[in-house]
Amino acid sequence: MNDTINAGTSYSSDLKDRYLLFDIDDTKYGVSLEYVLEIINVQTITTVPGVAHYIKGIINLRGKIIPIIDVRLKLGLPEREYDDKTCIIVLNVNEVQVGVVVDRVSEVVNAENSQLSVPAEVGEATSRYLSSILELEDKIVLIIDCEKFFKSELDYSQF
Amino acid sequence: MSYIDPAMRDMLDTFVHETETMLEQLDEILLESERAGSISEENIGGIFRITHTIKGSAAMMGIEGISNLSHAVEDVFYILRDDPSKLDLVFDTIFDLVFQTSDFLKREVEKLQEQGLDYVPDDPSGLIQKLRQQAAILSGEGAAGGAEHSHEENAQSGNENLARYKIHVFFSDDVQMENLRAFMLLTQLKGCCDYLSSDPENPENDPSLSEEIAKNGFIIYCNPSSSIDEVKQTIENSLNVKSYEVVDLQEHDEAEKESEQGEGNVNADSGSASQQTSGGQKSSSKNSKHSLISVNQAKLDQLMDLVGEIVTAESMVGSNPDLRGLKLDNFTKSFRELRKLTNELQDIVMSIRMVPLQTTFHKMERLVRDMSKKLGKKAELITVGGDTEVDKTINDAMVDPFMHMIRNSMDHGIESPEERLAAGKPEVGRITLSAKNVGGEIVIEISDDGRGLDSEKLLAKAERNGLLTKPMSAYTDKEAFALIMAPGFSTSEEVTEYSGRGVGMDVVRKNVEQIGGTISISSVKGQGTTFTIKIPLTLAIVDGMNISVGKTIFTLPIASISQSFKVNDPKQIIRNTNGTEMILIRGECYPIIRLNRYFGIPGGAEDITEGILIQVNNNDSKACIFADELIGEFQVVVKPFPIFFSKYDLKRRGLSGCSILGDGTISLILDSNNLICEL
Repeated sequence: MNDTINAGTSYSSDLKDRYLLFDIDDTKYGVSLEYVLEIINVQTITTVPGVAHYIKGIINLRGKIIPIIDVRLKLGLPEREYDDKTCIIVLNVNEVQVGVVVDRVSEVVNAENSQLSVPAEVGEATSRYLSSILELEDKIVLIIDCEKFFKSELDYSQF
Repeated sequence: MSYIDPAMRDMLDTFVHETETMLEQLDEILLESERAGSISEENIGGIFRITHTIKGSAAMMGIEGISNLSHAVEDVFYILRDDPSKLDLVFDTIFDLVFQTSDFLKREVEKLQEQGLDYVPDDPSGLIQKLRQQAAILSGEGAAGGAEHSHEENAQSGNENLARYKIHVFFSDDVQMENLRAFMLLTQLKGCCDYLSSDPENPENDPSLSEEIAKNGFIIYCNPSSSIDEVKQTIENSLNVKSYEVVDLQEHDEAEKESEQGEGNVNADSGSASQQTSGGQKSSSKNSKHSLISVNQAKLDQLMDLVGEIVTAESMVGSNPDLRGLKLDNFTKSFRELRKLTNELQDIVMSIRMVPLQTTFHKMERLVRDMSKKLGKKAELITVGGDTEVDKTINDAMVDPFMHMIRNSMDHGIESPEERLAAGKPEVGRITLSAKNVGGEIVIEISDDGRGLDSEKLLAKAERNGLLTKPMSAYTDKEAFALIMAPGFSTSEEVTEYSGRGVGMDVVRKNVEQIGGTISISSVKGQGTTFTIKIPLTLAIVDGMNISVGKTIFTLPIASISQSFKVNDPKQIIRNTNGTEMILIRGECYPIIRLNRYFGIPGGAEDITEGILIQVNNNDSKACIFADELIGEFQVVVKPFPIFFSKYDLKRRGLSGCSILGDGTISLILDSNNLICEL
C-alpha cells in the first residue's frame, strides 16, 4: 500500500530510487538518477595539463565547459581504448557539472530499500566510493556515491 | 499576516533601491564631515533632506520603525540647520548616533530586500530615545516636542497672493509615489524660494494623493529668492519630471484679468516661461540632464553572454571551412563590416558594465572608522585612484576581499598608539588603498604601515596547524607570507570580532582567483605589509593569437606578444648550465619556454628549427615561447576553468582559462606572466 502512495508523491524521491547502470569491464555499477543530467557519446576531449591522471580534460557541451573524469582510472583500473560503446554520463553533483567516462551504459532499474545493503568496509579503491550494494535477481550492482566519488575535487572549492 | 501591505509589493523594490542609494550618500557626507571635524551647512541640509525623504517613503510603505527613526534624525538636523553652531555641543555623540542610525537602516533595508513581504522589523526605540535627548539638548530643555513639528508648518496653507509664479508640474508616467516626488521637489525648491506653497499641501502625508498628482499634476506657488530661472533649473534637474509650465501671476493678472487662476491649464506666456521636457529625451541640448535608468544586472549578464556568443558565431562564419580557397570579395567586405559592428557592440556592452571603484572604497573608509573606534587604534585610510573603472562583476567580487584585508591590517597590522609611538612611528596608522590601470590589468594595492609579517611566527604557526609541506628552513620569506592565504590559517592568537576566524585570507585568494586575478604579499617586519592584487580589466573577451602544440591549441593574448620568428640555426640557442635554453635578441637574453615540455604534451615539435618562437614581453618579465605553429588571430571569449580544477591552481601554472573556438573545439588561454614566473 505504501508503494502506491510513494509512486506519485515526489518526482525527486522517485528519481532517487532509480539507478542508471553502467559497466566497467564485467562489473556493474550504478548511479542514482537524481544526479544524472544526460548521456552523450564520447567527443573530442581537450587535455588540461598538470591535473590528476584520471581527469581526461574538458569538453564543450553546447557552450558549457565540462570536466571529464575517467571512471576506470579513478577506480585504479587499467586504461582502455574508447570505442563506440564508450559513453559520457553527465552528472550534476552539488550544482557542479561533470562528465564521467564509462565503458557502456546498460539500463535504468528501480530499487527498493530491501534490495540495498551496506558495502563491506574493505580498503579497496572501489569500495571507498560506494554508497551501497544493490542485489537484483541476476546480478549485483555497486552503487557509487557521487559526493564521495568527487570529494577530493569538490572539497577544496567549498572550504 | 505580513508586516507590509501586499499591495506595496511593486513599490518595495523601488523603495529599497532608493533608500540604499540615499544611505550611501548619507555615509559619504558623514565620513567627509567627521574627517573635517565640522559639518558644512550644505551637508546639514543634505542629511536633513535624506532623512526626511526616507521618513516619508517609509511612512508610505507603512514601515514605522524606519520612518520614526529617520524622523528623529531629521529633527536633530532640523535644529542644526537653523543654527549650525549648536553642533559643537554634541558633535561626537551626534555622529555616533547617526552612524548607528545609518547602520540600523541599512540592516532593515537589507532585510526588506531578502525577506520581501515577510519582513519583520526591528525596534529602533532605543536609538530614537537617544536622538530625542540630543534634540532636546540642542533646542534647550523641553523644546524638543515643539521642534519636531514646527518645520512642517513651513509649507503654510497657500495664500496664492504671496506668490508671484505658479508652476504646474507633471511627473513621468508610472514613477509611482508621486506624492513623495512632489514633496522632494518642494524640498529642493525651498533653497531658492522665499515663499513656497503647493496644492495639494503637504503631499508627503497622504499617499492617496499620488493618484491625483499623477493625473492632474502638482501645483507649486512660489516667490523665487533670485530669479525664476534658478527655480526652473532645479525643476529640470530633478528626476522624473515629465513636463512643467510656469505662469507669471503678476503679468498674468495684468494682461488677462478675466482669466481665473487655480485651474490647471491657464494660458501661459508661451515664450521663455513655458518649457516642456519630455521623457528624458529632450530636444534642447543645453539644459539636458543625464537620463539614467537602473537595469537588472542579470539582464546585463545575459547581454554580455549573448555578445560573447555572437563573437564566437562570427568567427565561426569567418573561418568556416566551406569558404576555404574561395575568392569572395563581396563576402569579405560585408564580413568586415559585420566585424566592425560587433566590435562596437562589444565595446559598448563592456562600458555599460564598468563602474568606478569609488563606492567600494567609501565602504572601506567606513570600516576603518568603525574598527579604529572599537579596537582603540588610530588609523586613517587613504584612497588613491577611486575613479578607476572595473567590470561590475569584478567590483562586486572585490568587496569581500577588501574588507578582509583591511580588517586584517587593522587587527593584526596597525599597532596600538602607544606601541607606535614607542617604535618611533606617527601615532595615527595609515592604510593606503590604491588602484591603477596598468596595461590591461588593474593593480590594486592595500598597504599598511603596521608591524609587518613575522615569517618565523608564521612558519611556527603553520607547523602547528600542519600546513607545512617541506622543512621550515626551506621556506623563503615570500613563501612564508603566502602561508597566511592557506585554508585554516589565522595569525591572531585570539579570535576577535573582526578577524581571526581562520577563514579570511584564503577566502580572499579564492575570490581574487575566481575573477582571474592574482594576489601577492610583501612585507617588512616593523614597517608594514602590502598586498598587491592584479585583476584583468574585464573578464570577457580578449584578442588572442592561437598557437598549436601537438594536438593542443593555446590562445596567447595579443597584448603580451612582441613578435614571432623562426630560428634557422640551432646554434643560436644558448644552453645554461642547468639545462634551460636561451636566445639572444638584440643583445638581450630571453629564456625559452617549450610549451610541450612544460605542459607535458605529447607530439609537439622538438627541433627548434621546426617550430616557431614567440617573444613575450610583460611589465617585468620576458621570455620566448616555443610552439609548433601559429594558427591565427582571433577574438576569444574567456571562460574560467570549471570549479573542478580549482584544486590544481592552473592560474599559477600559466593557464588563465579556456575558450570555445569557432569550430567548437576548446583552446587553453595562456597567462604569460605566470608562465614566466614559474620558470
